[in-house]
Amino acid sequence: MHEFSISDEIVRNVLDAVKENNGKKVLSIQLEIGELALLNVEQVTFWIHELFKGSVAEGAKVKVKTVKARIQCESCGYKGGIGLDRQDPFQHVIPYSCPKCHSFQINIEKGRECTLRKIQAVR
Amino acid sequence: MKIIRPKGPEIFDIELEKDLLAKNKGLAKENRRRFDRSNILAVDIMGSIGSGKTSLIKAILKKLGMGKKAAVIAGDLTTTIDAERIEAEGARVIQVNTGKECHLDAHLIRRAIERMKLDGVKVLFIENVGNLICPGEFPLGAHKRLVVTSVTEGPYTVIKHPYIFREADVIVLNKMDMAKPMKVNISKLERDARQVNPRASFIKTNALSGRGIPKIIEALGLKS
Repeated sequence: MHEFSISDEIVRNVLDAVKENNGKKVLSIQLEIGELALLNVEQVTFWIHELFKGSVAEGAKVKVKTVKARIQCESCGYKGGIGLDRQDPFQHVIPYSCPKCHSFQINIEKGRECTLRKIQAVR
Repeated sequence: MKIIRPKGPEIFDIELEKDLLAKNKGLAKENRRRFDRSNILAVDIMGSIGSGKTSLIKAILKKLGMGKKAAVIAGDLTTTIDAERIEAEGARVIQVNTGKECHLDAHLIRRAIERMKLDGVKVLFIENVGNLICPGEFPLGAHKRLVVTSVTEGPYTVIKHPYIFREADVIVLNKMDMAKPMKVNISKLERDARQVNPRASFIKTNALSGRGIPKIIEALGLKS
């Protein structure tokens, strides 16, 4: 739901870094988004493309790598992934429970990040 | 920042490690230290639109009777309606308008506490934007997080938004006087809340009559 503000922040970071390095044009950017982050990847990419328009990053490729979640269950001790079916792009129901015992008492160790990893640009 | 150049004379990579959500978490930690230094208990009040966040804060303030020792940051997209309603209870109030944003973030809170006179303040309530999704992802630095839902939102609110309820220390079910006319199964809602978050206190209230308010004050560790 806050895809617009996150995208805005990403775009600002990209443009700042490129300016700092005297880049003339951005070819691509690489993001890493955790599968448990409350972000819809399709919306994020849409807004980045829109916000890039009219800047040195217009038309740049936006590559998104999904970071698999890793949880630890406090109830049964399960450690591992959460079994999300990312084949279905409209699966917005994120199970915040243990895939084994269905307890909600889980610690999320990985999978909630949104990282700007790499920018490829032309000088 | 590492720059790798060998891709030819023209093209270059800028490698970054910028976690965009981590920035907010860092600022939240700074806010927490600021509250701790001044001995202020900060409470983040979250809940959907119209669940009774402002009414609940008003009722708590009335019961506490702390006057200017209580402060409120009222977050909203536009208008100062909430701040004005709270001001009537005698607390210090600052309104934060987020404009297009769907949640408060730690940076906005830092700016608000810079502008507020917090000397002598013992408790700070932060009223988040009415929303059950985004505020969960943006900690503000508060010591306690309270989520309000009301029976008029229907019987599925908790199970549909497990994430925000998981983050709560106190879960409040408001507008209990409407449970019968709305035909809402209260025990089902309570079961959902306990399943999603057995650690949180679950308190039934009617903010307008004052029912349940002392229990909230107790759960937050505030003396009335």
